[in-house]
Amino acid sequence: MKRIGTFLLLLPRNICVVILRIYRAVISPLYGDVCRYYPSCSHYTLHAIQQHGVIRGVFLGTLRIARCHPWAAGGVDDVPQPARARYTTTRFGFVIANGHGKG
Amino acid sequence: MDINALIAGIGNLLWPLKWLIEAILVTFHTGLTFLGMDPAAGLTWVLSIVGLVLVVRAALIPIFVRQIKSQRRMLEVAPQIKKIQDKYKGKKDQYSREAMSRETMELYKRTGTNPLSSCLPLLIQMPIFFSLFSTLNGAQTGHAGVGLLNKALSTEFGQSSLFNIAPLHESITTANGNGVVIAIAITMVVLMTASQFITQLQIMSKNQSPEMKASPTYRQQRIMLYILPFVFLFSGINFPLGVMFYWLTTNIWTMVQQFIVIRNMPTPGSEAALAREARLDRKRQRRNLGAPATETAGGSFAIVEDVKPVSTQRQQPVGKTRAKKSGTKK
Repeated sequence: MKRIGTFLLLLPRNICVVILRIYRAVISPLYGDVCRYYPSCSHYTLHAIQQHGVIRGVFLGTLRIARCHPWAAGGVDDVPQPARARYTTTRFGFVIANGHGKG
Repeated sequence: MDINALIAGIGNLLWPLKWLIEAILVTFHTGLTFLGMDPAAGLTWVLSIVGLVLVVRAALIPIFVRQIKSQRRMLEVAPQIKKIQDKYKGKKDQYSREAMSRETMELYKRTGTNPLSSCLPLLIQMPIFFSLFSTLNGAQTGHAGVGLLNKALSTEFGQSSLFNIAPLHESITTANGNGVVIAIAITMVVLMTASQFITQLQIMSKNQSPEMKASPTYRQQRIMLYILPFVFLFSGINFPLGVMFYWLTTNIWTMVQQFIVIRNMPTPGSEAALAREARLDRKRQRRNLGAPATETAGGSFAIVEDVKPVSTQRQQPVGKTRAKKSGTKK
């Protein structure tokens, strides 16, 4: 039961992960590396959604895209760490419940 | 959901941009009419769209120039970049690549030489594209625009057709067997694909350093190059002719701009840079016959070091940056 609950809870962000994955595989290469930051905006948004969920993730991603313009200094800019890491991510990027039940 | 309602909805959000686009469009239309063209003709409206592209792309030139400038300044930090690259030489695993990207980005930030333009120049075209789409869409149904495109003009725009046979608001899907619309649309898809293809190919085959060519991104880009025509075909089918004209013109602009840049300011270490060196050498030789020609730099990223003797000679812009480069080198 709890497992199903977690699955449903994580479903929205996993859907976003798939969308961003497809974007990064299909659309990004069309215009190559242009981002002035590391990680790139889409990569950043992917991390943000994985770690913070859809709402905060999209918000963080939007702020980042707004920060990324030709006059920005650029550089390394990582997603702020969440207060505590509750989930693990698979190699593909799916967010799953923490296997060790640390909570 | 009603697609027209959706388009109108997003169109409302973009009204400042739509206003501006309409203003440019109408200005060109008025100008062309003043020059004696038929105000209701499709060709007049197509040329107005071309004018719109010229204005938009010209407005984006400063961003482009800025990018080129910082690319040139990259020559100054080339030794430091090479140091980072040497550090991670042969390490192909994900973590090393990531660490390398991080260090490179830090270096760009520290020295203010970030050569990347961010996605804003691309992103800004999207609402413009969409605004044009919704303007055409609205015009087709006789809706007035939000600004200078009044009801009369809007109706005229919506009803105009190229050579009196291919309505600008039609797309392949709505053409209803109108052969001319389909023929024009397909021709444009082909031209668009060709121009995009050439642009990509130019960048990839000529303007990338050997290091970039070895990266996984490059391989990914190569694959995309061949998928691209299908993407265009799919989207090209659904866009009205008027919007396609915008797209085609902007693609051609990109192609020409790219050509000029690759020819005159190539990425250091790329094939194009070598070609430019060779060209300049030939020119110098022709100018002062008998003067000893500088040896053409042989391959690789080492071009910066190889050409150094040149900078001690009497050469202007290139020599200057290189002289500066060797000055900062410790």
